[in-house]
Amino acid sequence: MKVFSNDEVFDYSWEEVSTANWRKYCPWNDKSTHVIAVDTLSRSVDPESGILRTERLITCKQSAPKWLASLMGGNETSHVFETSYVDPVSKKVTMISSNLTFANIISVQESVVYQPLSATKTQFVQNAKITALCGGWQKVKNAVEDATVTRFGENARKGKEGFEAVLEMSRRVFREEKEKARMEVEVQEKMAA
Amino acid sequence: MSASLAPECDEVKERYDSCFLKWYSEKYLRGKGTTDECAALFKDYKRCLTSALKEKGIDKMLEEAREDHKENDAANLRRR
Repeated sequence: MKVFSNDEVFDYSWEEVSTANWRKYCPWNDKSTHVIAVDTLSRSVDPESGILRTERLITCKQSAPKWLASLMGGNETSHVFETSYVDPVSKKVTMISSNLTFANIISVQESVVYQPLSATKTQFVQNAKITALCGGWQKVKNAVEDATVTRFGENARKGKEGFEAVLEMSRRVFREEKEKARMEVEVQEKMAA
Repeated sequence: MSASLAPECDEVKERYDSCFLKWYSEKYLRGKGTTDECAALFKDYKRCLTSALKEKGIDKMLEEAREDHKENDAANLRRR
């Protein structure tokens, strides 16, 4: 088993980050192009805790190295299943995901947590456990795990860059909408006068 | 918003996603969102998606993952 860990800080409030997180893979993010679709499978607010629970299916373009992809059967897309929890009171987003495709060859269990560091800063903590399940030589297992960890690091770096772009655009659009609403009110007031 | 894995569901998905995002940022995060106002839109999207998942044969492996993930509920559906 190999472990991949990554910590980042975003200069945005937890509210902004947790909202933008729902559209992390929209066209504003031109870095994480390996993610081609994000579908919501179920969503509910837990009546007791008030926590929002969401299940999503994430579809990725096959980005494994060639030798690994052929070992895994050469599918063109792969799928990840994600369950997330949002607690708006303690301000915590927890996302847990695991691979659906190649699940008999490799197990990738990832957790991501977003929590506020201050009113304007949010911490992102990512942990992934990668275990090759294919029987046989330890050497092969190690190579499969190493390649996956490398790919994880690359995608994490691109993910941070892409998410920064989404956060910036979200803030800009929000400001523009607020400005538009303010101007509409002004026009209405003038017309009423 | 991101696309659906089934292009025929993109339109209903877009409508649902916009509704959800508005509800999430304007109500839920402000402690005013206990009911899901986008349920009707989600139903349309879900209907489209469910048949696409079946067609692609993803529904079976999803069921297994869903069962596995339920183990995380105990630790995460609780307020600390």
